[in-house]
Formats: sequence, C-alpha cells, structure tokens
Amino acid sequence: MSFFNPAFTYIREIFTERLPYFPANIRACLFIILFCVVAIVELYIYIALRRINQYKKKSQEKKWKAHIHNMLANLVIYDESDDTDEIIEHFFPRLQKLPLHIPIVKKILITEILTYHKNFIGKPAELLSLLYVKLHLDQRSREKVKNKNWEVKIEGIREANEMEVGEMADDIIKYTDDENALLRMEAQAAYIKLSPKDPFRFLDRAQERILDWHQLVLFEIITKDKKLQIPSFSKWLRSSNDTVVMLCLKLIDHFMQFDAAEEVERLLKHHNTKIVKKAIEIIGKLELESAEKHMFEVYFDQPLEIKTEILNAIGRISSGRYSDFLSSRIYSDNYKIKREALYAIKRSADLGEAKLREIYRQTSLENQAIINHVLDSRIKS
Amino acid sequence: MREFFYFFETFFNNAIFYYAISVMTSYVILIFLSAIEMNAYMKKNSYVNYREILVSPLVPSVSILAPAYNEEATIIENIRSLLSLHYNNYEVIIINDGSKDNTFQRMFDYYQLEKVNFAVDYQIKCHEIRGVYKSKLPSFSKLTVVDKLNGGKSDALNAGINVSGKELILCIDVDCIVQEDALLKLAKPYLEEKYQVIASGGVVRIANSCKVEDGKLVEVNMPKNIWPRFQVLEYIRAFLMGRMAWSRLNGLLIISGAMGLFVKDIVIKVGGYDDKTVGEDMELVVRMRRYMYEQDRRFKVVYIPDPLCWTEAPADLKILGRQRNRWTRGTIETLWMHKDLFFNPRYGVLGLLSYPYWFFFEWLAPVIEFLGITIFIALAIMGNINWEFSLILISMVYFFSIALSTIAILFEEMSYQQYTKGGDLVKLLLVAFLEPIFYHPFTIYWAMRGNIDKFLGRKAWGNMTRKGFKEEKNKEGTTPHTVT
Repeated sequence: MSFFNPAFTYIREIFTERLPYFPANIRACLFIILFCVVAIVELYIYIALRRINQYKKKSQEKKWKAHIHNMLANLVIYDESDDTDEIIEHFFPRLQKLPLHIPIVKKILITEILTYHKNFIGKPAELLSLLYVKLHLDQRSREKVKNKNWEVKIEGIREANEMEVGEMADDIIKYTDDENALLRMEAQAAYIKLSPKDPFRFLDRAQERILDWHQLVLFEIITKDKKLQIPSFSKWLRSSNDTVVMLCLKLIDHFMQFDAAEEVERLLKHHNTKIVKKAIEIIGKLELESAEKHMFEVYFDQPLEIKTEILNAIGRISSGRYSDFLSSRIYSDNYKIKREALYAIKRSADLGEAKLREIYRQTSLENQAIINHVLDSRIKS
Repeated sequence: MREFFYFFETFFNNAIFYYAISVMTSYVILIFLSAIEMNAYMKKNSYVNYREILVSPLVPSVSILAPAYNEEATIIENIRSLLSLHYNNYEVIIINDGSKDNTFQRMFDYYQLEKVNFAVDYQIKCHEIRGVYKSKLPSFSKLTVVDKLNGGKSDALNAGINVSGKELILCIDVDCIVQEDALLKLAKPYLEEKYQVIASGGVVRIANSCKVEDGKLVEVNMPKNIWPRFQVLEYIRAFLMGRMAWSRLNGLLIISGAMGLFVKDIVIKVGGYDDKTVGEDMELVVRMRRYMYEQDRRFKVVYIPDPLCWTEAPADLKILGRQRNRWTRGTIETLWMHKDLFFNPRYGVLGLLSYPYWFFFEWLAPVIEFLGITIFIALAIMGNINWEFSLILISMVYFFSIALSTIAILFEEMSYQQYTKGGDLVKLLLVAFLEPIFYHPFTIYWAMRGNIDKFLGRKAWGNMTRKGFKEEKNKEGTTPHTVT
C-alpha cells in the first residue's frame, strides 16, 4: 500500500490544490480524465450487475418455464371425445394458483400458451383458448392493444392473433393504416386472421405503403392459411396505392386468378414500372394470348427490364404469331434482349429448339454462343 | 533558442490537444448515433420471425460470389456451408482465380462438375474465363464454378458478376463462416426502406478459437492468442459503434470485403470492382454512392448489427501488419481517386461528412500520432519536455480509449452478447486496458508503413496465410473444428 500512497497523494493534490494553476487545456484534460475514470467504473459496475441480473432472471425463467410447460403438456393428451368443462375444471384452479402477480410468471404463461396454441390444433387448441379467456388473459391483450406505446400494441395484437380473439378485429382495423409501419403490418396480419368474413377490408382503406417486406409476410400468411376465403384480387387493381396493387398482383399470380386478366392487361399502361413488369409476368404465366398484341405495341417504348419481360411473356404464351419479331431481336445490340428472345423462341411450342438450330446456322459466332447457352438445359434461364 | 523550444512545445501541446479533442468529440457523437441506430434496429427486428419466411418466393434473388485462390484445404467444406444457407432464391458462384494448387480439381471431383455452354456477357472487364461449370448432381444445382486466369480478388469478383443471373450479389471471402440466416437479414433492408438500398453489410466477427462443425459455428469463444483478442475488441468497436453510426447518417463509405450485399445493376453501371486498388471494397461503395448522387437518386447504404459472418483474424504479427498496411494503402488510394469529393456539397453527406471524416480521422490520425510521438521523443531527448503536462495529456487519451472500448463492450452485451462465458467478458474488459499500450502502437506503425509503401509505389496485396480449421476430437467422439 505504501507504494501507492505517493501516487494517491499526487493525484489528490492535482485535483484539490493545483488545479486552478494549470493552463486551460491541461485543466480540460484533467476533467476529461476524471469523467472517463468515473464512466469506466460505472460501466464496469453496470455490466457486472447486468450479468448477475441476467443470470438470476434466467434461472427464475427456467424454473417457471419448466413448471408451466409441464402443466400445459398434460393438456395436449385430450381429444374430441373428452369433456371440455371437466378438463377446464381440472386445469383452471391449478393455473390460477400460479403467482400471476409476478410479471415474469405471467409473461411465461402467456408465451407458453401461445406456443402450444400455435403447434396444436383441435381439442388442445380449443382448451388453450378457453383457459386463456378464463384466466382473463384476453383482457390483458385488449388493454395492450389500447396502450399508447406501439410496441405494447404490437404485443397485444400478436397475442390476439395467435389466440384467435375474433372480437378484437374491430379494435385492430384502425391500426391497419397506421403511420408506424411495424404496427401497421402486425395489424394487417392479425386482421386477415381475425376477420374471416371480410379479411381484406383493410385494403379498401389503405393509404400508407405496404412495404415489400410486409407484402412478403402478408403473402406468406394469405397463401398458407387454408381456411381463408380468397377473394378475386382484381378488385383492388385500380387502387391509388401502388403497393396495394403490387400485393394483389403477387396474389393473383400465386392463385392463378384468370378472372383478373382484363384488369391485369389494363396495367400495361400503369405509371409504375414495377407494376407494369409484374403485370407482364402474370400475362405470361396466365398465357393470355389476348394481351400479346398490346405488349408488342408498347414494346419499343419500354426500358430494358420491361422489354425482356415482354419477350419472356411472349415466349410463355407461344402463340407463334410473333416468332418473326422474336427472331429479329437477335440483331439487337443488347445481350440480354438477344438471350431473352432466344429463350422465348425455345419455349415456343415443340418447334422452338428446331427454330433455334435454324437460326444457329445463319448467325454470327457471338449469337451462336448465346444459342448454345440457351439450348444447354443445365443452365437455368 | 530557449524561447523557440518553449514556443514549439506550447504549440505542439496545443495542436495535439485540439486534435485529440476533435477526434474524441467525433467518437462521442458516433457513440450516440450508434446507440440510436442499434436501438431502432433491435426494436424493429424483435418482431420478425425469419423462420416463417425462409422459403418465401418473394425474396430478391441473390448470387453469392466467392473468389477462391489456393484454397484446396478448405474449399469443399466452405462450399458445402454456402449451399446450406436458409434462403429460397440464391445461387453460389465460386470463382477459381487461377489457383496454383488443386482447388479446382478438388471441386471438380467432389461436386462432379461438367463444363456448360455458358455465353458470358462481359459487362465488366475481367480476365479470360476459361470455363463455367455446373454439377451433374441435382442436389448441387445451385452451384456454379467459374474457372479463370489469375487476376486478383477484384477481377475474380468482376468475373462472377458477369456470370451472375440474379438481382443482388453477395461478395464474400470463401473462407468466412456465414450464419445460416445471413442472407435473409441482409436482404431485408432492400425490402423495407423508403429509398433504394444499394448496398448492405453485416457485422464481421473473429472466429479464432471458436468451434466449427460442418462449416457452421457452434460455439463462440474468446481467442486464446492475444493478437486476435485485441482484434475482437477492435472489430466490436468498429462495427457496433462506427459503422452503425455511419449507417444512421447514411454516410457509410465501406462495406467489409469479407461480406457485402450489393444491387448488381448498379455495380455494373459503375464498372464493377476496380482492380487497381487494394481497397476495392471501400472504393466500390464510394463509387456507387457518387453515381447515385450524380443521377440525383435517393438511396441508402445500410449496416446491420447482427453477427452474420465469422472470419479468421491474423494471429501472427507479420501477417496482421501486412493486412493493416494494405488497408491503409486502400484508404489512401480511395481517398485520392475520389479527391474531388472533399467538402463537395454536390455529394451531400458523402462529400461534406464521410469523406472529410475519413481524411482527417482515419487516414491522418495515425500520421499525426506518429509525428506526435516522434516530436515528443525528440523534445524529451533534448530535455525540453514538461513531463507532467505530457503525462496528463497521454492519460487523457488513454482513459478515453478505455472508456470508448468499455462502451463498445456494453453495446455488445446489450445487443447480441456473443461472449456468454463470464471469463470471456473479463478477458475482453482486460483487453480494453492493454490495447492502447500494447496493440495500438503497432497499428500506428503498420499504418505508417502503409503510407510509406504507398508513396514508394508498392502495390503488393500481401500474402494472407491463414491457419484454417484444426480438427479436434471431443468427448462424444465427433469432430468439431477449432479455428486456431
């Protein structure tokens, strides 16, 4: 200790006696040093306490999770023949005995019920829903949805969505066009599930953008839910919200809705290039011969990405009416146009490959290489 | 003479003081910005269930481009790892950059490759492509191997871009360990930002001493060797603090060469990677950014704090020195090539903030530190130093540096907490005390060597020998690997 004494004395002297006599920059340095040392000590204490709390929380969570998990695991053994009231009477008092006033216990119980509900159908799912209501956890979800904080709202919406609390659909619809993109998406996803009669009503009023990411999530929900009644999405293709149009086009594409053909063709004149491109892709997939002429007419004024999509669509339709047009594209300066046109010819019925071989004999070495590429089935187009 | 020394010493002290204060102020601002960005990201992504969208057909298509040069020891395992990523629409393009060993033959044999009639569209200049190969086995249909003449990493990536058939390109180092959900996380910003995202990058972490099984990271450990351990702290600071803050400002100048996702069309429009610089990763981002400004298009370059890529850090001082030397030369080259950006308001944040920051605080900082130390030693030898004042000045920098590193560790703790073992945390905190004394002087030295080499016209990439995965039998008898 005697070794450190002179150092401590020196530091004390600097800060208590000599400080006013130092030049301004040295005084500033001393203040910064003092600030940093205090900050480092505080950070160390904070990090250590955080780890200790984390450890405690984890062990507490582990204990309660195992307990609740065991209780709920017994629920899944029942089937349709078992009496619902009897089972509820058996489990409810036990779950009620849990110290639900402790936030972590309540949180674990909700999470576990949600997880079980997600993974089971039939009787177990029904029992879990009933217990959820009987324990007044649905009320808690409802309160969460009304909370000012958007993160809490999302939690509430998620709980309602998973537990299929249909009565909350009316509370949720107002958030389907909220300024907050995350809340908006959660609300839209939940509304689809909670409002079986009119799951897509939110699309009528959507002013805010449905981001590509959200379209992806909604697409997954809509296409995987077997119980969902799928409407004709052409209904929204005249929406002033481009993102609504885009989402509907993706769904028309997935569900192959031929009744949307006319509306999709109308979109060839849309101001948004992405929508035009998607519309052409659908025209190709639905093999809408009626749209071929229209696509040919607009072709020459389009950017490269639309041109290649048109060539692709004509290839898919393969009516044969535009085979000369496709063959003439090989004189283009652009590699992508050439390749896409050649792929389109290849797709044109059974004679496609023969036609390519015919072109091969009369064309340049560069084009021959592209034809070889197109004819090589090991390379995906 | 005495007055001159007094004047010089005062001037020297003041200059160092004000420079240090400005650097420190910039760091404090970056800390706040980074905290805001991290918090926003964590909140936003805590609701995302990536499992639900693993097989979505609506994700943008991605080509993974991985140049390979003399990688025969690990190439099979590396490719296998890349082929098992969780993503619906992607292809893996391995570019054999004229390897002198058996890299190509090993791939050819193991994946049963055969040459296909691929007509390459040379949209970007690159060395001759000898052939494009696909696997005969349907299970490896995602794999394409490009065999080309040696031209360096940039040239290999350009060849890969010419062969790529997807919208986005993920440029990676083939020996990196990529997290399974990395593609989904990196692609997400492209689908959710208001403005077009042109590039995105994730946090690169150090894999030394970590356990790896079948090309996947199974256990995170603190490196046993002290030099990678210093780099762990350095990477945490750079990625979680620096890059997140610049992402907030939309002023990022660099996406790590180890892993970065780019919009292919824009990369092609700007001419691809420049093979004349050794800082090709930074130079490409700068060129893409300036292209977008020149086109008057609004855009974003995004960084995400998830640890998506694990790389083996040099454990040897000599190799580490070569790497840092190259980084310095790369920075100088990029700054020089784009010197017209300096405080140029036409380029917004890029010209007014990012470029000057890199100029003054990234390139100039080690030079000024080196000059400062040299002058300090000279004055000390001549007996013209106020030891007390100098010691206070040095202590300020030292304690600030520890505080900065500790905040970075706190960020790591509050975000992804990769080092869960208590002992690893203690080691990391201890490293914060040692780094300014034992490691930082080396980084200044290497940076100075980089400056000198640059001005002498030395262009070597520098051989980056890696130790690779060492097999270790564990108690259960399986064979996990440890990156030594």
